[in-house]
Amino acid sequence: MIKKIVYFTALMLVTALMPMHLSIHKASAAWTAPDQEDAKKRAKEVVPFIKEYKDEHKTARKISLMDAGVSINDVKDVYFLLDSPIIKEREDHYEPVRFAHKRHAALTKDCSKCHHLRPKDEKELETTRCSACHQDSFNSEHPERIGLKAAYHQQCIECHRTEAKGPVDCKGCHLQNVPDHKNLVKLPDNADVFQVTAECLRCHDAQANDMLTTAHWLWRGPSPYTTGHRKDIMHGKGTTALNNY
Amino acid sequence: MKINRRNFFKVMGATAVSGSSLAALPSDLTAWESKAPPDPYGCLVDLTRCVGCRKCEEACSQVNGLPAPERANCQCTIFEKKRRPDDKAFTVVNRYFTGKLDNFDKPLPTYAKVQCMHCQDPACVSACIVGALTKDETGSVRYDVSKCIGCRYCMVACPFEIPAYEYHDPITPRVMKCTFCYDRISKDGGVPGCATICPTEAITFGKRADLLRVAHKRLDENPGKYINHVYGEKEAGGTSWLYISSVPFEDVNLPALPDNPSPKLSETIQHSLFSYLWSPIVLFSTLGALMYKSNKSNPENSNGKRGTLEEKNITKGGA
Repeated sequence: MIKKIVYFTALMLVTALMPMHLSIHKASAAWTAPDQEDAKKRAKEVVPFIKEYKDEHKTARKISLMDAGVSINDVKDVYFLLDSPIIKEREDHYEPVRFAHKRHAALTKDCSKCHHLRPKDEKELETTRCSACHQDSFNSEHPERIGLKAAYHQQCIECHRTEAKGPVDCKGCHLQNVPDHKNLVKLPDNADVFQVTAECLRCHDAQANDMLTTAHWLWRGPSPYTTGHRKDIMHGKGTTALNNY
Repeated sequence: MKINRRNFFKVMGATAVSGSSLAALPSDLTAWESKAPPDPYGCLVDLTRCVGCRKCEEACSQVNGLPAPERANCQCTIFEKKRRPDDKAFTVVNRYFTGKLDNFDKPLPTYAKVQCMHCQDPACVSACIVGALTKDETGSVRYDVSKCIGCRYCMVACPFEIPAYEYHDPITPRVMKCTFCYDRISKDGGVPGCATICPTEAITFGKRADLLRVAHKRLDENPGKYINHVYGEKEAGGTSWLYISSVPFEDVNLPALPDNPSPKLSETIQHSLFSYLWSPIVLFSTLGALMYKSNKSNPENSNGKRGTLEEKNITKGGA
């Protein structure tokens, strides 16, 4: 009897709160982060192509940036979305990269690392954006000028390599345009672990075979933290360890 | 035929005449000429820029309707074996450790993409006996399956060992190799699939002459970074695909080849032998002359023999 009363009260409460809850949900859907909107808008802009640049040596460039008094205080945007239509013109496989501009400026303390050349026209900004000089790939009028996509990749990967900091693989920066798995995965309610693994393997056979050749599977060795097996030395994914399905 | 003094001089004379014509003919008739297109497209592969993402393989298979590359998203274990282009993949990326170290003394990999080099004077085109392979104005070495008879001479001829064959298909097998995305590059603004997708522009697409200029500029402006050589500028008489690298080209499985176009020697020999069909004419006239002489020198012998044979046949037929 008490159980029934509790259930009933709960039900009443839920129905009463429902409209309120919905309205909150609506409001939250309408709300957007203003800085993200700015970043999205900025990413869509295509600025006029700068044909000529001032040919400066690396050191000279660094000095001229210091002379111009460019510092981290001039960095207005915290981050950029690298989502220019110039890149997406030919193919679009990945989500845009969020480039933390201010953070990179603070870490490197050297604007000339990325702002490596400036436009020849003195009226132009000292630190112009990447896409002003780097636009289409394989521009036959400027064969030595690389495209925007290549400029981003070469600049990021090269610097992350030499500094041994930051990702150098695809998925370190990009989210892949992965299809929604909600409709792809077909599992019964309360599926057990074997069913889940089997369901994954239904499509990801290659990844499974890949995994079987890695240390995650092949590892054999002592298990000092496994209760009751502290002194056994032949343990691992491929032998007697748990979860080896 | 008995060799007496007179016959000996006759034979020597005939040999001398044919020999002198052999020496005289090639010089004016068979000076080998390159049939390379004047302003072809090309691709410049900069191995220092390649990060081994294998996106070119993915794009290639999509553009050319091939099966998805083996373990498409794998960037580690796939490199443990050296792969070659085959009937299911026109291009593959391999990883090489050439002893180069990075700033932290870790071995630095060099990734190298392999595909048809689209030679300026392709050996496969020269070897093809039915004209199924042709060198196009765009620079692409094109394959016409409707002409191909499946002799696979192209596979033997190719100095880069590129053409592959659909051995699994007994009814309609094709020779399979990179098409240089002819359908794309023959259109205005068209770029091959691999060059389109390359995230670092390790593959630069353009006119071959422009690319050579860009390549030499890169070599000049980065002293010490590159091996001072553009692979494909002269190799096998020049190729549409060019490579520049920081490690020796032999180390990334790009074979050292002579500068002569591969078909030059074989075509020179063949053309000098068969121009105006002089060599069969000389051969058969010499043989004819010899037979005539030998018949004439032993008239009673040959006549007698033939007669007896005929008689035998008649008697056999009668019985």
